[in-house]
Amino acid sequence: MTFTAKPLVRQCRPGGVRLGWACLAGLLSAATALAGDVRVQVLSREGTPVSGVAIVLEAPAGVVRPSGRHSAKMDQLNRRFVPEVLVVETGSEVEFPNSDSVSHQVYSFSAPKRFQLPLYKGVAHSPVAFGQPGLVVLGCNIHDEMVGYILVTDSPFHGSTDASGAAHIPSLPAGTYRVSAWGPRINDGGGTLTATLAVGADGPQTLTLRLLQPLRRNPSPRPGRIDWDGY
Amino acid sequence: MRSDYLVVLGLLAVTATPALAGDRLQLTGLVDLRAVYADATPSFLDGGLGRTRFDENHDGLQLGRLMASVRYRLTDTLTANAVAEAYGDGDKNSLGLSEAYVDWRPFPTHPVRYRLRTGAFYPPVSLEHRRAGWTSPYTLSASAINTWVGEEFRIVGTEFEARWLGASQGYDGDLAVVGGVYGWNDPAGAIIADRGWALTDRPSLLFSGLGRPRTDLYYEIDRRPGYYAGVSWRHGETLEVRALHYDNRADPGASNKGGDYAWETRFSNIGVRYEPTENLTLLAQHMEGKTYVGPDSAGPYQFEMRLEAWFGLASYERGPHRLSVRYDHFMTRQDRGFWSEYAYDDAGHALTVAWTERLGERWEVVAEWLHVRSLFAPREDLGVEPRSSDNQLQLALRYRFHLAAGTSPN
Ligand SMILES: [Cu+2]
Repeated sequence: MTFTAKPLVRQCRPGGVRLGWACLAGLLSAATALAGDVRVQVLSREGTPVSGVAIVLEAPAGVVRPSGRHSAKMDQLNRRFVPEVLVVETGSEVEFPNSDSVSHQVYSFSAPKRFQLPLYKGVAHSPVAFGQPGLVVLGCNIHDEMVGYILVTDSPFHGSTDASGAAHIPSLPAGTYRVSAWGPRINDGGGTLTATLAVGADGPQTLTLRLLQPLRRNPSPRPGRIDWDGY
Repeated sequence: MRSDYLVVLGLLAVTATPALAGDRLQLTGLVDLRAVYADATPSFLDGGLGRTRFDENHDGLQLGRLMASVRYRLTDTLTANAVAEAYGDGDKNSLGLSEAYVDWRPFPTHPVRYRLRTGAFYPPVSLEHRRAGWTSPYTLSASAINTWVGEEFRIVGTEFEARWLGASQGYDGDLAVVGGVYGWNDPAGAIIADRGWALTDRPSLLFSGLGRPRTDLYYEIDRRPGYYAGVSWRHGETLEVRALHYDNRADPGASNKGGDYAWETRFSNIGVRYEPTENLTLLAQHMEGKTYVGPDSAGPYQFEMRLEAWFGLASYERGPHRLSVRYDHFMTRQDRGFWSEYAYDDAGHALTVAWTERLGERWEVVAEWLHVRSLFAPREDLGVEPRSSDNQLQLALRYRFHLAAGTSPN
């Protein structure tokens, strides 16, 4: 199953430009920067930045860019997956370094990649290869509250939003792209927003996706509770 | 007491050992020393019918608890767990076991995760005892409900849990069903029928009995297994709801050679924990149950008692400070089997206020005031007023440490 997005945002906010099914609240151009850079920003209903959202731009047919990124890291820190959402290209190898002082037992039973990976302290472990596109939900067999996501995509054009809610995808060849944004706490359309974006030769563009529904509450684990609840 | 202090020194010496690379073996230790001031009916632990752990005969320094909770990873999915404790108040053994079990947790291959525990462990009732070794982060003294669970209940048997892992399906919550089958819990009910409810942090150990004269616990009389069944819903760290029904299915007419009868005891417990913000915890439990002893053929002479209790707790945490306040309400009603001059009816309520101050990673100071009012007629047998108003002040100094050693298989 590829990461396909359903059409979701059905209303535009005032000032937004309707493009495809989504809202483009801002579509800027500036002559100084390189052509083909795209900045996708995700804002909550209240207008605050939403970090940790996976952004994938599906290349138009015929445009293929050799991928440069084939290894990535999904760390374990304070009994959380860091980052919570990781986007990798199909075929990437992901390391699980475990920076915690305790062991973890990472698993996935998601169809694109099923695996079981004990991350014991003091024991080396090899990276995990993700050969099928799709969403892989990670859990920990010791800490039920630990949940992480690896989004595996065939597209080389991807990123995740940072603290300012923005993801930068550089050097896109000109063409029309299908943009999808997925986050575990996005309610709009089951978590996925989509838009269509035309990338020309006239400079960087910013696409702003603004959620219409409130974000789901962060289940906020309490990292200080070292020996609580069966630890 | 002397051997307890040797254990303290031993535990402290262990913490000085350098940590090794792995954590195949994990140990959590607790040394808890108390300064006590009590104005209370003589404690049940010393043969009285009071509701607090300490009375004025315990004023001064006391050993609160020594505890070592050990987990050893046998394989990727199987761990051996044990909790050893000492209270220094006349245990048969100065260091005893409160729990010992193996826990099998296969990796989930679909959204339902199975778990199997076999050995001796607490039934999953308490929402207060969230820390290693069945310790509460909120108060020193447990609620009436969970004091009773700690005193008279240990599952010596097997528990099966199936948990639907909602996170994997895009939900924040987990839903679990749990069930247990066990033996060796036939005496459960004897203590509460005799004494009524209490609020202590003195659970029983597996092989030591409890109180004076000592009530022995955890043995089989009628060769009939008991069961419990429950459900739980968890929503991240924010919400947990648990309901459980317990029935030891004892034959109240059965007795052993020593003349000890089996107590047919059953209860239903429902509990909710809600953490609306990262600082605030609201917690409540309600329990009602029944206990019977004596053959069914005894008719009106069969002892039958109703039990009911609830509590509400609010705890506010800010940095190293935590303030917890709890209100408990409890009653028992003897409906049949009037063998004594006094009905064993208990009625009371309690207020607990506890302040916890964390001093770094290992040290903690807890101050607690416990106030219990109760009415229990059988106290007259001991020449004590049936109506009591007890106060217990405690200041605990706690040293807690975590150790790990040993690399794992594969
Ligand atoms: Cu973990």
